[in-house]
Amino acid sequence: MNRRLILMMALALAAPLAPAQDKPAARPGHTEITWDELVPADWDPLKQFKDMNFGVLSDADPRAAAMLKKMREVWDNAPVNNQMDGRAIRIPGYIVPLEEGKNGMTEFLLVPYFGACIHSPPPPANQIIHVKPKSPAKGFKSMDKVWVDGTLRTLRSDTFMGVSSYRMEAVGIERYVEKPAK
Amino acid sequence: MTSLPGLAAASAWNRRGTLSLVALSIALATLLLLSFERVRLDVRDNFASAVSGTDLVVGARTGPIQLMLYAVFRLGGATNSIRMDSVRAVEQHRAVAWVVPLSLGDSHRGFPVLGTTTAYFERFRYGEQQPLVLAQGSPFSGDLDGLYGAVLGAEVAQRLGYQLGSSLVLAHGSGTLPGSEHADKPFTVVGILAPTGTPVDRTVHISLQALEAIHLDWSAGVPMKGLSIPAEQARKFDLEPKQVTAALVGLKGRAAVFNVQRFVNEYEGEPLMAVLPGVALDELWTVVGVGEKVLVALSGLVALVSLAGLVATVLAGLNERRRELAVLRAVGAGPRHVLWLLALEGLLVTLAGVMLGVLASAALIGLAGPLVQSAYGIALTLAAPNATQWLLLAGVLAAGVLASLVPGVRAYRLSLADGLAPRS
Amino acid sequence: MITLRDVRYAWPRAARDVLAIDALDIGAGETVFLHGPSGCGKSTLLSLLAGVLLPREGSVTLAGRCWSELPAAARDRHRADHVGYLFQQFNLLPWLPVIDNVLLGCRFSPARSARAAQRSGSPVAQARTLLQRVGLPQDAWARAARELSVGQQQRVAAARALIGAPEVVIADEPTSALDAALREGFMDVLLGECRAGGSTLVFVSHDERLAARFDRALSLPELNRAAREATA
Repeated sequence: MNRRLILMMALALAAPLAPAQDKPAARPGHTEITWDELVPADWDPLKQFKDMNFGVLSDADPRAAAMLKKMREVWDNAPVNNQMDGRAIRIPGYIVPLEEGKNGMTEFLLVPYFGACIHSPPPPANQIIHVKPKSPAKGFKSMDKVWVDGTLRTLRSDTFMGVSSYRMEAVGIERYVEKPAK
Repeated sequence: MTSLPGLAAASAWNRRGTLSLVALSIALATLLLLSFERVRLDVRDNFASAVSGTDLVVGARTGPIQLMLYAVFRLGGATNSIRMDSVRAVEQHRAVAWVVPLSLGDSHRGFPVLGTTTAYFERFRYGEQQPLVLAQGSPFSGDLDGLYGAVLGAEVAQRLGYQLGSSLVLAHGSGTLPGSEHADKPFTVVGILAPTGTPVDRTVHISLQALEAIHLDWSAGVPMKGLSIPAEQARKFDLEPKQVTAALVGLKGRAAVFNVQRFVNEYEGEPLMAVLPGVALDELWTVVGVGEKVLVALSGLVALVSLAGLVATVLAGLNERRRELAVLRAVGAGPRHVLWLLALEGLLVTLAGVMLGVLASAALIGLAGPLVQSAYGIALTLAAPNATQWLLLAGVLAAGVLASLVPGVRAYRLSLADGLAPRS
Repeated sequence: MITLRDVRYAWPRAARDVLAIDALDIGAGETVFLHGPSGCGKSTLLSLLAGVLLPREGSVTLAGRCWSELPAAARDRHRADHVGYLFQQFNLLPWLPVIDNVLLGCRFSPARSARAAQRSGSPVAQARTLLQRVGLPQDAWARAARELSVGQQQRVAAARALIGAPEVVIADEPTSALDAALREGFMDVLLGECRAGGSTLVFVSHDERLAARFDRALSLPELNRAAREATA
């Protein structure tokens, strides 16, 4: 039941980018995936909260705040799906620029929803991809919606966050075009 | 034999008095369009290259653009300061690899003074992850022995003619008022940085401790009366910085940027803000973009006005040329040759104007470049036109040809109607 | 060389014809003097002969082609190839050098430049020869046309009309702006060159004293039925 809840949440996050829209064809060899595939099947972040009944807590209860903080920590330590390592994928997302040179963007983060650095709480660790385009990407800016093609890698080393994260060297970055509403 | 373009050229040259005025106004429009595009691009390039390899900029909770402009580009007004122990708390976060605190406020003969640690020279990157390189000397030592050592950016050293060992006195704030100098604590140049093409070139770098030292006997921006602590004695005091303007933060893994940002934003000790440089810059361009569009529209209007002048001038002169047109009809030119002739004349005038505009734009950039560089730290490049600029030039030329078709068509009709017996 | 049949011409939106000519034949090499008072339609007739205006009825044939059969661009080419035209004044582009003004005669006709090259090696050489023959001093050749006197300009205009040996030269009162002394000299040049080249010359003027030098003299009011009908 909880796993389904997680998947639904993740799906809800990826909904703005549901591939029902008109899109350019994927590069050969790159399979299109959705963000929930980056979440390992056996991850259950709500496991520890299974016994709690959220209904009895009011919004202002300090226990609710503490619980939220705990949930956030679990979210931060979300593990990567190691089965995705080395897969050539195509995934839609929003750009958070990291490095930009004269010829274009050389490093950015790809996140599943808009405003991931400003308003909403940041995405869990397994919903962020650190992308390095093979050649600098020109003409993109913060929060642009794009398709990214590339090979996904998971960092297995024990890094700062205690768990792994996703990296990708992107061979293709295209603007995401919305199909006009009929 | 005189070819049709040759005829058009001779004809236009014949009326060069009025046509040169038209060409000048087209040149002005071209100058505006080209220069504006060049400045726009160079500003963006410069800003984008000013900081690299930095994941977050941490400062007081003001505005992201304001913080970036002041802390990184040394432009704009002082933001609030943050406590040094807040910076240390950020440094302690498990995802943070390094922090470089920055303290701004003083100046030296119009150039900003930056107080920082030796980590600045190791960690700061610009452009495409390029590190700072010392052309001469070494960074300040960061300890009490080399307290009054200063490292100069390339522009400062060149413009003020400083070398290693030169002595300089810093001024409080922007330093324009007399009595605002820290005259009792002069600094010595111990290092000069290689040029970077960023605001680093315009900056005088000193250690945070030195910045504390020169403000020991000052309070609220003025020296305290009756209290004067000589330079050497300053060492005896506690010179650890309590407040800084901002801090550059580097992370162990870049994907952790959101977490650290949230940590800083929610820090309970003080209202802090963490900014992603790339995102803040994009916000800046969005804001600036509105003004840019207005300027482009204005330049376009100037082009339109000058082309309208071309049309008006040629149309006005058409009546006098009816006999010329009859001569051309008599030697076998058709009305469409007449149309072409006038279109070519217009094209030649537009071309002359455009070429003049290109030269003027180059001259303007060449002359104003060094001034802009020293005032704002922005390098304007003198380069061949880029794709957008070629498009602009082509657009002006195309518009010129289209505009000349108006008198061309009129001349066509006139020559048809007049035949060989013009009524004028 | 020039044939008119049942030609009727009226100004646009005019009620009556201004020209009505049943038949007119001018042979190759003929020099024809056409006279009539001012306003009788001489310039209009010349425009019809040169194919600049088209009759509303009838045909005007010059050098084997009927003007009405040709589309506009072809008419311009035909005119460039076969007709040299002279106005009363303002024959030249004032800002163009003299020699280039002469060369204008060939500029729109490859056939005429070929003929000019045939005669003298190149169109420029032919232009120079003609300028010499019309008596224009060499130092004037490179000057802008507006710097010349009226008489000199008319001579240059004659050279331009003659370059490339067009079959027909049409002159619309070319001497009316010249004084008596210059007039004779000009007539010598024009008639001489036309006869030497075998060109047909149609010369219009209100001054009947010039008629004697021509093969044929025609009176337009007599030729023009519309004029006769109007006065009748």
